[in-house]
Amino acid sequence: MNTITSIGTAPLVELRRVTRHYQIGENPVIALKGIDITIQAREFVAIWGPSGSGKSTLCNLIGMLDSPTSGTVLINGQEVNDLSDNARSELRNRTIGFVFQNFNLVPVLSALENVMLPLQIAGASSTVARERALERLTEVGLEKHVAHRPAKLSGGQQQRVAIARALVTDPALVIADEPTANLDSGNARRIIELMLNINASHGTAFVFSTHDQRLLESVKRRVLMQDGEIGSDSHPTRPAVQTRIAGGRP
Amino acid sequence: MITWFKLATRNLFRNGRRSLFTVMAIGLGFAAVNALGGFTAYIFTSLEDSYIHIQGNGHMSIFKKGFLNEGKLDPTRYLLNEEDVRVIDEVLQAHPEIRISTPELNISGLVSNGEVSTIFLASGRVSSKVDVIRSRSRTKVGNMQLFDGEPMSDETPNGLGMSQGLADQLRFKQGDTVVVMAPTVNGQINALDGQMLQTFNSPVEALEDKLMLVSLEFAQNLYDTTSVDRINVLLNDGLLTESMRATLQSELVARGLDIEIKTWNELSTFYTKVKNMFDVIFLFAFLIVFTIVVMSVVNTVGMAIMERTREIGTLRALGVKRRGIVGLFALESMLLGLFGSLVGVLLTLAVWSSIATLEPTWIPPQITRRIPLEVYLVPQEMLWSMLALLVLSLLAASLPARKAARMEIVGALGHV
Repeated sequence: MNTITSIGTAPLVELRRVTRHYQIGENPVIALKGIDITIQAREFVAIWGPSGSGKSTLCNLIGMLDSPTSGTVLINGQEVNDLSDNARSELRNRTIGFVFQNFNLVPVLSALENVMLPLQIAGASSTVARERALERLTEVGLEKHVAHRPAKLSGGQQQRVAIARALVTDPALVIADEPTANLDSGNARRIIELMLNINASHGTAFVFSTHDQRLLESVKRRVLMQDGEIGSDSHPTRPAVQTRIAGGRP
Repeated sequence: MITWFKLATRNLFRNGRRSLFTVMAIGLGFAAVNALGGFTAYIFTSLEDSYIHIQGNGHMSIFKKGFLNEGKLDPTRYLLNEEDVRVIDEVLQAHPEIRISTPELNISGLVSNGEVSTIFLASGRVSSKVDVIRSRSRTKVGNMQLFDGEPMSDETPNGLGMSQGLADQLRFKQGDTVVVMAPTVNGQINALDGQMLQTFNSPVEALEDKLMLVSLEFAQNLYDTTSVDRINVLLNDGLLTESMRATLQSELVARGLDIEIKTWNELSTFYTKVKNMFDVIFLFAFLIVFTIVVMSVVNTVGMAIMERTREIGTLRALGVKRRGIVGLFALESMLLGLFGSLVGVLLTLAVWSSIATLEPTWIPPQITRRIPLEVYLVPQEMLWSMLALLVLSLLAASLPARKAARMEIVGALGHV
C-alpha cells in the first residue's frame, strides 16, 4: 500500500512553534513550549527525557492524536491543524502506525485479526487484509501464533503483534510510545532490533518516546525533552533536505 | 462489514452475564408485549366473532333511515315493509359476496306465567338462517352450545328461548307454555302462547331478566305485521364490509329505498369500548417494555464504553472515524435487540404452546359460561415488535455511543 504519495521537498513531519496547554482542574499545565522539530522520512528518532517533560504530548501531536494550542503541525508538507476529524482519521490510517506502551490490542480479536484491522478500517477486502497481515506477522516471527488472542500471548509477542499492526498499511511513520516499557530486557532487545530492522529494510520512519537506555544506545537521533522544550537534539534535520517518498518501502 | 459484525458480536460476550441480562430483559419485554398482543387479538376476534356469528347479527344490518335514532320511540314507523324487503332481497341476491341475509324484528311486551307478568325484549329471527351465520364462526366458542334445552327451529314457530334470569323469575322450565303479550302496530293488545324451548345467558347482565328469543313469524304475529326492522347481512369475506356497505347503500337508494346501513363495529358499542380499553392497556405495557429496554441497553452500552474507553482510543488512533465508533456500538446494541427479540419469540411460542396444550378456560365479562382462554400467535405483530425493539435498542445506544465517539483520543488512550 502506498502511504505518502506526494513528491517534493517537504519533510515527513514538521512542527513549527508548537505549544500545548492543558487545564487540569483549576491549574493550567504547559506541556509544550514552542517546539520546532523536523523529521525526515526513514529517520529513527528517540524522544527521551524525564516524566512530564512532554515526550508523549509531542508524540501525540506528531501522530495527529491531539491538536496543538498554537503553532503548526505539518505531515508531509500538509498542515493538519485545521483538518476535519474524518480527514485526520484517514490521514492517520494511511500514513502513521502506532505502537503503544500497553500494546493496546483488541482482546476479542486474534493476532491476525488485530493486524488486519487497520487495513479493514481503510476499506481493504478481507482477503487482501489477511494476506498482508500474515506477511507482517511472519516478519515479526509470529506466523505460528496468528490464531491466538492477545491474552494467550506473552508481553513481547503482544508488542510484536502491535508492531505488525502498525506496519500493515506500509505507513511512512510509526509512532511508538514507550514501546519497551512493559517488557523484560530480552523482549525489549528483540523489539528494538525488530524496529531497527524494519527501519533499515522498509525505510519506515520511527519516532518513539522512551526511558530505555538500551534503546537510546541504538538510535542515531535522540531528542531530549525538558520541561516542554527540546533540551537537545543529537542530529537535527533541516526542512530543506530533499525528500522523495513514493511509498512505504524504499 | 463482516469484521465489524464479528467484533460487535464478540464484544457482547466479553461481559456475558451483563449481555445475557439485557437480552433476557428485551426477550421478556418482547414476550410480554406479544403475549398481551396475542391475548388482545383473541379478545378482539372473539368479540367480533361473537357479534357477527354467534349472536347471528352478520357483518352489517340494513334499517329504514331513522330507525336507530327515532325508532326506539316509535318503532312501527320505521319498519321495512314486505315490498322493501323484496327489493332489498333482490339487490342482495345480485351480489355473490353475500353469504346470506336474514330479516329480524325486535319486539317488546309482557310475558306471563299466568300469575305474574314482567316486561321482555325479544329478537324475532329465522332460525335456519341464523344457524347458517353461526356455523361460520371461526372461534372455539362458536362451536359451543350456549343454551340449555332445545335449539330454536323453523319447524316450531311458537318455540321461544328465554334468558335464565327471566325464566327463573317466572319459574319457567323447558316445555312450559308461555303467554306473551304486546301491542300490535295498530295499537291493539295481542297475546300469543309460546312454548319454552331453551334458556340462555344474556350477553348484557342488565338484560338477564328481560331477554327472549322468538321466531320471526311469532314476532310478526304478535305485532300483527308482515314488516321487519332490519335485514342482517353476512358476507363471505369480512374485509369487504366497508366496500359492500357503500355499494349496497347506493344500489338500494337507487331503487328508491330510504335506508341506512350500519356495520357490525358501529352497532357493537361493547366491541369498540373493549378495543379502546385494550389499546390503552397495550400502550401502557409497551411503555413499560420501552423503559426496560432503553434502560437496559443504555446501561449495557454505557458500561461497555466505560470499560473499553482505551480500546475506543486505540481504534480511533488506527483511523476509525467517529461514525465508525457510533456504528460499532450501534451494531452491538442492535445485536442485543436482535438476540433479545429472538429470545422473545421463543418465550412467546412457549407461552402460546403452553396455553394451547393446557387449554385453560375462563369466564370473561358478559359471558356466564366458561370458555377456552386463548393467546393467538400474531406473526405480523411479532415482526413489528422486533423492528421496534431493534430501532429502540439503536436509539438507546446512540447517545452514549455518540459521547464515546467524541472522546479525546489521547484521553481515551490514557484511560485506566
